[in-house]
Amino acid sequence: MVLKNLNDLRRLVEGGPRKKLILAAAQDQHSLGAVMKAWKEGIVEPILVGNRESIQSICAANNYDITGIRIVHEPNIEMSVEMAVRMVSDKQGDVLMKGMVGTSTLLKCVLNKEWGLRTGNLLSHFALFEVETYHKVIAVTDVAMNIAPNLKDKIAIVNNSVACLNRLGYKIPKVAVLGAVEMVNENMEATLDAALLSKMNQRDQIKNCIIDGPLAFDNAVSLISAQNKGIKSEVAGDTDLLLMPDIEVGNVLYKSLVFFAKAKVASIILGAKVPIVLTSRSDSEQAKFDSILLSAAASRW
Amino acid sequence: MVSKVTGLKKKHRIAVAWAQDPNTVGAVHRAVEDGFAEAIMIGNPDEIAIACRKAGINDKLFTVVESSDDHTSALDAVRMTKNGEADIVMKGLVGSDVFLRAIMDKENGLMLPEAVLTYVGAIEIPAYHKLLFITDPAVIPFPTLDQKIAMAGYAVEMASRFGVDKPKIALISASEKMNRHFPSNADYQKMSIMAKEGKISNCIMDGPLDLFLACDRKSVEIKGVRTPVNGDADILMFPSLESSNPFYKGLMLFASGELAGLMRGTTKPVVLMSRSESEKSKYYCIALACLMA
Repeated sequence: MVLKNLNDLRRLVEGGPRKKLILAAAQDQHSLGAVMKAWKEGIVEPILVGNRESIQSICAANNYDITGIRIVHEPNIEMSVEMAVRMVSDKQGDVLMKGMVGTSTLLKCVLNKEWGLRTGNLLSHFALFEVETYHKVIAVTDVAMNIAPNLKDKIAIVNNSVACLNRLGYKIPKVAVLGAVEMVNENMEATLDAALLSKMNQRDQIKNCIIDGPLAFDNAVSLISAQNKGIKSEVAGDTDLLLMPDIEVGNVLYKSLVFFAKAKVASIILGAKVPIVLTSRSDSEQAKFDSILLSAAASRW
Repeated sequence: MVSKVTGLKKKHRIAVAWAQDPNTVGAVHRAVEDGFAEAIMIGNPDEIAIACRKAGINDKLFTVVESSDDHTSALDAVRMTKNGEADIVMKGLVGSDVFLRAIMDKENGLMLPEAVLTYVGAIEIPAYHKLLFITDPAVIPFPTLDQKIAMAGYAVEMASRFGVDKPKIALISASEKMNRHFPSNADYQKMSIMAKEGKISNCIMDGPLDLFLACDRKSVEIKGVRTPVNGDADILMFPSLESSNPFYKGLMLFASGELAGLMRGTTKPVVLMSRSESEKSKYYCIALACLMA
């Protein structure tokens, strides 16, 4: 099954039991709005961990009806994050979301060896884009977490993303490893890594997907471009997942799709026991909601 | 962009190397029809005639020069441009490596002495309020500081041909915060200081900046970052080909962008586009070359 747009994610969560979303340091207007919307639309069952008074006053000020929503009171921000993470660890939650707390504080708790959410995998960022001019959604990784991944990191990032796509219903997702050119060029490490990843995939060292690369952006997403260049590839023009060479490339592309191509985007952190929603203040309300929707669809607990 | 060129009221002669592909023929034809170009099509005359017939174009509008193969046609086109028979040289169906070798040949090529060979593009995006210049989307994989400074100079020169007097240059990275893991950032910091001290002139330059701070004033307000570029960039400088290339391709495929671009560092304008580029893009490139000639 292939997702045509982000709204298709709803099909994956509807019918099943509501996923429990634990919002850490929940006294945060920016995330509460999206969480309440997801609650109202039956996507998740929120559990709000944080300062009860602040949470209640934000909700009152914004007319959020929190009847029936569990609030776990912990006024200290760091303690509330720890509590939220421990609750997920105890399988009381399917998804973790960041509220009024810095990303580094949250990740430190997530990576705690005793009670954190480590799986032994690298944490990586996974973004799902809906672009009008592409025939389906396209996943892009890693645009926000790993700065300059080496080959080993890239393997881990692909594995995280493929496992996620598998859970979203993609049996054999098509993975394009992005380069500035589609030829292997000894001066561009990204193209060398791309060739290695492709070969490792052929040898079944990276499973459950088809990898091809290097592919330049146009070949990855446009069959016509690929044909014009005479590229024979199962992935070209029909990419499900685009692997970025590094964060500078990914970040620019991510922002240009959002800003210039008016793309819709949902994003989560993968590699922990559950998907983590880490939205930023500058994300739109829609993007926050779609990220929650994605996290619920991708959660396996 | 095109109105600027047709307004020039001057015809430039273009030598096209290995001219027999339909997109190239179509683009050149439009430029000739619009009255700002004359074309010298170099290649196999029969195949050029076939390409013209297929496109419904009168090949009498072109001067056709016979050449035995793609390599020779590149050498011929460059030679004719060098000795003044043409003002602009353009790549047709010949591969970029072959074409570039002819351009870069020390004796017979078109390089300015000591110049940095790079590429500046002008991209029209419906979602942006003005033309956006980018460098380098095509040639230098990982530009050094000196190359970046040269790139900025070329981009400023191109912007000024479009009437942008003191263009705002955003030095693009993943974030506005200096990060030692990004090799580009140290260069960016030096360049920002050089610009402030007037060592890089005729522009307003700042970086590192992310794309939002470069192009979106609202993001600048939300983040409260003080930058002279202020979400109103005219020129984006990219840290690598790896970042600039998917950027412009993404805009062309997903944001209805149109790119025109030119090689820089040459004695005469060089039109170099991917063979798979559309007729429209190639036409824009010719127009840009005529403007810069």
